[in-house]
Amino acid sequence: MAMNDTHSDSGLVLDRRQIITGAAALGLSATFGALPAMAQGTPKKGGTLRMGMEGGSASDSLDPRTYADSIPIAYSLMFWNTLVEIGTKGDATPELAESWESKPGATDWIFNLRKGIKFTSGKTLDVDDVIYSIGLHRGDTKSPAKGLLEPIKEMKKLSPTQLQIILSAGNADLPYILSDYHMIIVPNGTKDFSKPDGTGAFTLEEWNPGVRIVGKRKPGNYWKPGRGNFDTVELRYIGDAAARTQALVTGQVDAVNRLDPKTVKLLMKNKNIHVSRSKGTGNRLAFVALTDVDPFKSRDLVLAMKYGIDRQKIIDNVYSGYATLGNDHTIGPALKYYDAKQKQRPYDPDKAKFYLKKSGYTGPIELQVSEGAYSGATDSGVLFQESFKKAGGNIELKRVSADGYWDNVWLKAPFCAVYWGNRPTADLQLSQTFLKGQAWNDTHYDNPKFDKLVIDARVELDETKRKAMYAECQHLLSDEAGMICYAIGDQMDGGSTKLRGLEPHARYDMNDERLAEKGWFA
Amino acid sequence: MLKLVVNRLGLGLLTLLAVSVLIFICTQILPGDVASAVLGNQATPEALAAFRKELGLDVPAYLRYLHWLWGAVQGDLGVSMTNKRVIIDELLPRLHNTFFLAGYATLLAIPLSVGLGILAAINEGKLIDRAANVVTLITISIPEFFIGYLLIILFVVNLDWFPSLATVFPGISFSERVYITTLPAIALTLLVAAHMLRMTRSSVLAVMSSPYIEMAFLKGATRSRVIVRHALPNAAAPIITVVALNIAYLVVGVVVLEAVFVYPGIGQLMVDAVSKRDVPVIQACGLVFAGVFVFLNTLADVLVILVNPRLRHQR
Repeated sequence: MAMNDTHSDSGLVLDRRQIITGAAALGLSATFGALPAMAQGTPKKGGTLRMGMEGGSASDSLDPRTYADSIPIAYSLMFWNTLVEIGTKGDATPELAESWESKPGATDWIFNLRKGIKFTSGKTLDVDDVIYSIGLHRGDTKSPAKGLLEPIKEMKKLSPTQLQIILSAGNADLPYILSDYHMIIVPNGTKDFSKPDGTGAFTLEEWNPGVRIVGKRKPGNYWKPGRGNFDTVELRYIGDAAARTQALVTGQVDAVNRLDPKTVKLLMKNKNIHVSRSKGTGNRLAFVALTDVDPFKSRDLVLAMKYGIDRQKIIDNVYSGYATLGNDHTIGPALKYYDAKQKQRPYDPDKAKFYLKKSGYTGPIELQVSEGAYSGATDSGVLFQESFKKAGGNIELKRVSADGYWDNVWLKAPFCAVYWGNRPTADLQLSQTFLKGQAWNDTHYDNPKFDKLVIDARVELDETKRKAMYAECQHLLSDEAGMICYAIGDQMDGGSTKLRGLEPHARYDMNDERLAEKGWFA
Repeated sequence: MLKLVVNRLGLGLLTLLAVSVLIFICTQILPGDVASAVLGNQATPEALAAFRKELGLDVPAYLRYLHWLWGAVQGDLGVSMTNKRVIIDELLPRLHNTFFLAGYATLLAIPLSVGLGILAAINEGKLIDRAANVVTLITISIPEFFIGYLLIILFVVNLDWFPSLATVFPGISFSERVYITTLPAIALTLLVAAHMLRMTRSSVLAVMSSPYIEMAFLKGATRSRVIVRHALPNAAAPIITVVALNIAYLVVGVVVLEAVFVYPGIGQLMVDAVSKRDVPVIQACGLVFAGVFVFLNTLADVLVILVNPRLRHQR
């Protein structure tokens, strides 16, 4: 996002484009070396959690239709809950919805609400609240979640605690869609969100966006056992990475997000600090070429560049090793349908030379980069330029302004830097970026075979077949698409060793932005 | 003389009006408007049109300007487009913070730099003169965020005297506020000291070559007495101007240090507003900045008129 130059370099920034970022590392445990919650002992009540976070601004609001970054997600989950929560490993787990099921074809869904859940005002949660809350993001609205909910045809109240959702086209991933952070459940008819009335563990004590948000624990027992332990939670806006790290080291805050990869090694030596690293769940870092614009119409030229980029060197030098190799598509290793058997494309100057010659293109290739695209884009571009030179390629770097990058450069320049956020499902990860006609298809990728695979996989309930379909998608993209995705970032949080519950998570930083609810002090 | 002062004040107001027009025009030509910034690239043209209408962006620009100006004169700066907060409520606490920090730094910087400047002039060419010059030149040459980090390393990490976060909240006590804003105030002092010190020194030395100073020496006055009693009053005008410029800088130019020390000042508010294209907030911040600049410069002009003996004593 276009921040000012002074601290846009402080970590990878989420922005409004990330309608839902999230991973679905379904059943993949090897990637996450998380300590199970039990190993950390029994949660204790009390204390004040002080978090220092990046990912918000003075213009933040409590209206769920405006959320687009880490801090709004984190404070909203102090006051409200969603129907479905995402577990540490990326699986959909019950939250306000106790259970759900779908009829074959995945168009007809039933969600059963938990009984006896109360809002702060004392009102009991029922289906009308859920229909209203989801409805906030449908129809005539400016909510970024609108596109996600387009498949919903109808929502019916079967009983006060039973909701039927009928989709216009089948989608096996509906529970994941409902776990999106915009879909917090508010009381039916809420128009003013400035005094949060939610089912969450905390109430709003101080609202000071851009400075700090303070929440107080509600009296009585929280309906989730072992959660909502802190008496007070103070969320401070600390946009500067150095200031954030400093505050953690000197004990002025208990936990911070988005640690700087360049200094995290030093931080790990500190005995009082615990670093929580979620591997390969961060942003997909890429350069994208419009494949219907010359010279990128030549698939050989794009392939030459894919072989001509030294991915490991970029990861080691620009991201200090805290990133995973990318394989020219956006499915990360933490996602359920990631094809681990796909061969990693190596840096191979000879092959790059071969394809470059085959393409017949000899002129310079202009690549537009900016720190407004993502932190490290410029340095990565320089290393790309160097490594491609060894294959005889000539990349001309054009550094452009961070302000207005997403409006003026991305989707318009023929070859530029872009990042794609983590999405909760393979379907969302692929369809928004690569389906023909999608507004954000930033490579103008156009392959009817691919489109059919994605759409068919959406309703395929046979896991083996579905996995094979997504694997083929990954192969197609890697060989054909105009995306050079060279790395997938790690998400890194830091916390005091007294703090429990700051574990790696498959989706967002700060334990899926739920540290306030999940954590406690030993 | 009264006429001169009134003139200056009138000119100040005119400047402010001209600046308000400029601010308005500039915010209009920023690429992309708030509707596309809030709704994102996927918004349909209808949704954009509806949102623009809701925000009143479909009215001609000059009418919007007059409406805005009329509101601003009455102290109503409108409502933020992104989070619907009343701007004046959002602005005032931050403005208070900014003024507090600028005031604190001013209290440290002016006695220090003017005093050192006079001392340097008295001891022209001696060690103290050179040392003051070199040290302040170094501090002005280092980028401000780096000064901030150096101070943090020294006073937070090594000595543990101050906190590195200077975040102040409503309801914090005055002494606590002074304590936690000390580091940013020192950083700001180091930033502006050199300019004021050198101006003090050189304007005092410039007056020193005048015949009446020679006369004072011939009467047998000591060098320090000549400087403080005879030279300084006549050298005051350029010093006042420079001091005013630097105080204005302390208010409007500290956004980088705000980020380093996580200080909730007005600079960060404006940067956030620009990135979200929240035009009413940008305009409000711009107007405040312009107002501070114009006010301090006008004040300096008036003071210069008042201290100038030739203007003070009518012929």
